Amino acid sequence: MKHKIIFTSLFSTAILMASTWATANDNPGGIGGVHSLRGDAELEQTRPADPLKKVSRQVSKLDNNFVGQPPMIPHHIRNYEISMNANKCLSCHSWKQAKESGAVKISVTHYQNRSDQILSDVSPRRYFCVQCHVPQVDAKPLIKNDFKEVESLRPNSND
Amino acid sequence: MAITRREFIKANAALSAATVAGISLPASATNLIVSSDDTKIKWQKAPCRFCGTGCSVLVGTQNGRVVGTQGDPEAPVNKGLNCVKGYFLSKIMYGSDRLQQPLLRMTDGKYDKHGEFHPVSWDTAFDVMADKWKQALKAKGPTSVGMFGSGQWTVMEGYAAVKLMKAGFRSNNIDPNARHCMASAVGGFMRTFGIDEPMGCYDDFENADVFVLWGSNMAEMHPVLWTRLTDRRLSHEHVRVNVLSTYHHRSFELADNSIIFTPQSDLVMANFIANYIIQNDAVNWDFVNKHTNFKRTATDIGYGLRDDHPLQKAAANPNSGAMSPMSFDEYKAAVAEYTLEKTVEMTGVPAERLLELAKYYADPNLKVMSLWTMGMNQHTRGVWMNSLVYNIHLLTGKISQPGNGPFSLTGQPSACGTAREVGTFSHRLPADMMVANPKHRQISEKIWKLPEGTIPPKPGFHAVLQDRKLKDGVLNAYWVMCNNNMQAGPNINEERLPGYRNPENFIVCSDPYPTVTAQAADLILPTAMWVEKEGAYGNAERRTQAWYQQVKAPGEAKSDLWQLMEFSKRFTVEEAWGKEFVAQHPEYTGKTLYQVLFRNGQVDKYPLSEAQPLNDDARDQGFYVQKGLFEEYATFGRGHGHDLAPYDVYHQVRGLRWPVVDGKETQWRFAEGSDPYVPAGSGFRFYGKKDGKADIIFAPFEGAPEVPDQEYDMWLCTGRVLEHWHSGTMTARVPELYKAVPDALCYINPADAKKRNLRRGDEVLLQSRRGEVLCRVETRGRNRPPEGLVFVPFFDARILINKLTLDATDPLSKQTDFKKCAIKISKA
Amino acid sequence: MALLKSFFKRLTSPSKAALGIVLFMGFIGGLLFWGAFNTGMEATNTEEFCSGCHAPIVLEIQETIHYSNRSGVRAICSDCHVPHNWTDKIVRKVQASKELVAFAMGTISTTEKFQARRAHLAEREWKRMKDNNSQECRNCHEFAFMDFSEQAPRSVKQHSTALASGDKTCVDCHKGIAHKLPDMKNVENWQ
Repeated sequence: MKHKIIFTSLFSTAILMASTWATANDNPGGIGGVHSLRGDAELEQTRPADPLKKVSRQVSKLDNNFVGQPPMIPHHIRNYEISMNANKCLSCHSWKQAKESGAVKISVTHYQNRSDQILSDVSPRRYFCVQCHVPQVDAKPLIKNDFKEVESLRPNSND
Repeated sequence: MAITRREFIKANAALSAATVAGISLPASATNLIVSSDDTKIKWQKAPCRFCGTGCSVLVGTQNGRVVGTQGDPEAPVNKGLNCVKGYFLSKIMYGSDRLQQPLLRMTDGKYDKHGEFHPVSWDTAFDVMADKWKQALKAKGPTSVGMFGSGQWTVMEGYAAVKLMKAGFRSNNIDPNARHCMASAVGGFMRTFGIDEPMGCYDDFENADVFVLWGSNMAEMHPVLWTRLTDRRLSHEHVRVNVLSTYHHRSFELADNSIIFTPQSDLVMANFIANYIIQNDAVNWDFVNKHTNFKRTATDIGYGLRDDHPLQKAAANPNSGAMSPMSFDEYKAAVAEYTLEKTVEMTGVPAERLLELAKYYADPNLKVMSLWTMGMNQHTRGVWMNSLVYNIHLLTGKISQPGNGPFSLTGQPSACGTAREVGTFSHRLPADMMVANPKHRQISEKIWKLPEGTIPPKPGFHAVLQDRKLKDGVLNAYWVMCNNNMQAGPNINEERLPGYRNPENFIVCSDPYPTVTAQAADLILPTAMWVEKEGAYGNAERRTQAWYQQVKAPGEAKSDLWQLMEFSKRFTVEEAWGKEFVAQHPEYTGKTLYQVLFRNGQVDKYPLSEAQPLNDDARDQGFYVQKGLFEEYATFGRGHGHDLAPYDVYHQVRGLRWPVVDGKETQWRFAEGSDPYVPAGSGFRFYGKKDGKADIIFAPFEGAPEVPDQEYDMWLCTGRVLEHWHSGTMTARVPELYKAVPDALCYINPADAKKRNLRRGDEVLLQSRRGEVLCRVETRGRNRPPEGLVFVPFFDARILINKLTLDATDPLSKQTDFKKCAIKISKA
Repeated sequence: MALLKSFFKRLTSPSKAALGIVLFMGFIGGLLFWGAFNTGMEATNTEEFCSGCHAPIVLEIQETIHYSNRSGVRAICSDCHVPHNWTDKIVRKVQASKELVAFAMGTISTTEKFQARRAHLAEREWKRMKDNNSQECRNCHEFAFMDFSEQAPRSVKQHSTALASGDKTCVDCHKGIAHKLPDMKNVENWQ
């Protein structure tokens, strides 16, 4: 068993050296120490796939960073149908259903058409909810974002 | 401070109403967003940074930073809406790894291709870079320098770049990433109509009875246009939507007629519809006789591969776009081959669906809008396919009328405005002119006030040819600007990466962020983006939109425009043009490229005082550089069907659709009453052609270059997703967008997964003849391919799916087919 | 006469052996019949059998949680659409014989025909499940054993009130959980 481990590690070292050698010859300098969204993996490397992420079951509403930001979807939407036949989102979030379902009501803007007229029902142009509202997986962003909210929207530190 | 949803809405509405360009609201007027008098949010318009739809957004800035964005309620394109990417524009500039200093590969303080990147000053960066350019020019001449630009450049940047390359370095080796995106559409327009870009406009969405999506997933790729289409479909009972694709995607959610066809067989379907129209006596004879000619195209034209590729050698007429006239009867006989039976067999589409589609086109009482993007353009017969759809519209006369017409959707925000109209292609000049045409060169040289013969007559290297020439060591000094081609271009392993890393070459990459292209370059230049500079974009409906700079770029980051102009200062005409050429034109002796190209009395005509107080590019050059470039560029098109309004107008309005004649924009080109270039009494005039007639061009079905076989048994189709823009450089740095779609997945049919013993989430090895990648299986996602095909998006730098794709192109447009190659899949 | 009498007697009181044979044959026959019947019933409960006519639906379920989930417990068509209790099952199977006519007539033989009839089919199932208090849901999802502490807050709210009181039954909210929905425009409590 121990021998096997040693052999395997020797073998992989050999492979690693071979690939380093190849890099030095075909790709002088490699990525030159610069990290991209790929991290520091050399471009010719077949990078292992990251694990599949899960939509987090968040209980609280996700915070908005600025006025006009569409709220994120704080739950999974697996198999939620939005088609000519049915709109699963509206079955809870429409004004008619929201009270009973306890879901967040869709914004009043969703009842206006292109000419800003108020309609009696959701504007057809707003029908496909996921064009603006998307669920969020449980994952750390690849790169930190330094966007700063205006003062009034910054979360309270004691929240 | 707790803010209720209702109050949000109130504040939002107040802002929207009061926010025409440049108005600064006092804190009290916005009451909720700011609470102290000394804090203000300034709202100004800008076109969205992402797709070719060209939505207008309002950008809110405070203390020199963008603090919010919202859909522009005044904009006719989007009327206050954005897609999820557009809503998060406010964060695209704030990824914590923004490049803020030039980075050069060095060892012991000197440039070394083997070295690691180290920060240098702009001076050092340009010194090393200019040195490499001069070496290349001296050793091998102008064809050894090149540039790969962008449909995301501003109009002015693209114009400055094309001028610097074609007149400055006298090299036509400039091509935009729009080559990957719109070249086949351009080819189709030029061949059928003799003039580029759609005749119709977005108002067609509110007027059509039937929509046909020929290879376009608008629900994800043009979300805001999809809202207009959805609005029309759901508010009008009689409207019908046909969605055609090689796999099931989100646009099918609105489809009345769903058509999943075998890859490449769209050529068959289009010819079948033409045949059906003729067989069922639905030809609009009045229109056809007055306004069209029939032509056939040369066939067996190869696949745009290297000349020594077996497929290229096997072709009878490689790269031939030759056309010969034919009679209607000959055309009728040519399409007669495409019977319903044959079409069912070749496409795999049930007969009733094909008939339903054909009937919509044939019915004279239905207004049909055909739409397409990459499904038809990224196609080894893309130019043919574009024309085949035009054939259908021309045969029935359903064109250039409200709701009736073919509409080629654009991918990038300024693929039309910059790449196409400005002509940043290796074969083009501004306003649809060609470098190969001596008259066109002459016109350009005259406008540019340059000696005759400055512009070389031979088209330069196009996108994939640039990669091949880099690899072969023919192209040695190369500047990649405003795109991430290492990730977005095809066949990374065999052509481009070896090309960039070829020790003979010096590669420069200008980008706001460290991309994989930057990682493969030798010099990285930190770049200002979007509202960190002033600019203009042109969208898919010919709408030109301008914006002002609104914040400063971080660190030493500079706009592409500044970089191009500063670089031009480092060359004398002797160095760039050669002593011999200058000797013939002694008045230029000793001048720099900057002086002859940009201080020519035209570009520098408008003083700094006309520019906004915040305009770094203008301040650095000492004159209103954007206006000067725009106005000089506009002289190319004025009076020639490409008329643009005066530059300042674009800052007052939400864009105008060219030709803009006498202050009036044009909605439907080629149609009397709408297009000022169409003479009264003619009804229609396709004035791009000398005789005013459009060509109905017959082209047959020809197969794809690489089809699945025993070993590589699956089709691979690549593309985008709604939440990410192209290679993810901007969107993957927005946490919300990253968390919405964190990884590129391999969308596969459950039956195919089962056959390979794969489950959702399994890591799989995808291999083509050119490379391999690892990614995870998705069996129930938004895309549902039929058996035998997988879809993998290209936004994910960690995967780089383009290691697998083939660099086969349409032989006429030189646009890569990213939708079809053969791969195999196994459990990792 | 005596002969006649004994013959008559023989007829009226069969021998023990004969009785045994008859009973045994009856038992075997019954067993065979029951086996065949049950096998037949079971055969008509398989996914393959259902997909003979309802192919599009069988494909649709593959994307849903009732087909694939973390523990691998899954429902097939009959789990939700055929009652589990014997008498109800027989009643449903007898009703189903009517569907043979539809099969013979090709009522849903193409995707288009199926789509056109989806609303009718769905409404019939919703009604059946409403009438039997969503019995087939409850065969697996028993209200008494739901752990509200493991449910999302909104589920708890609904389940602990409307469902608990019997005011609502499962199918009132959970429609289209295993396949696509028909046109929901006029469906109560939807949109």
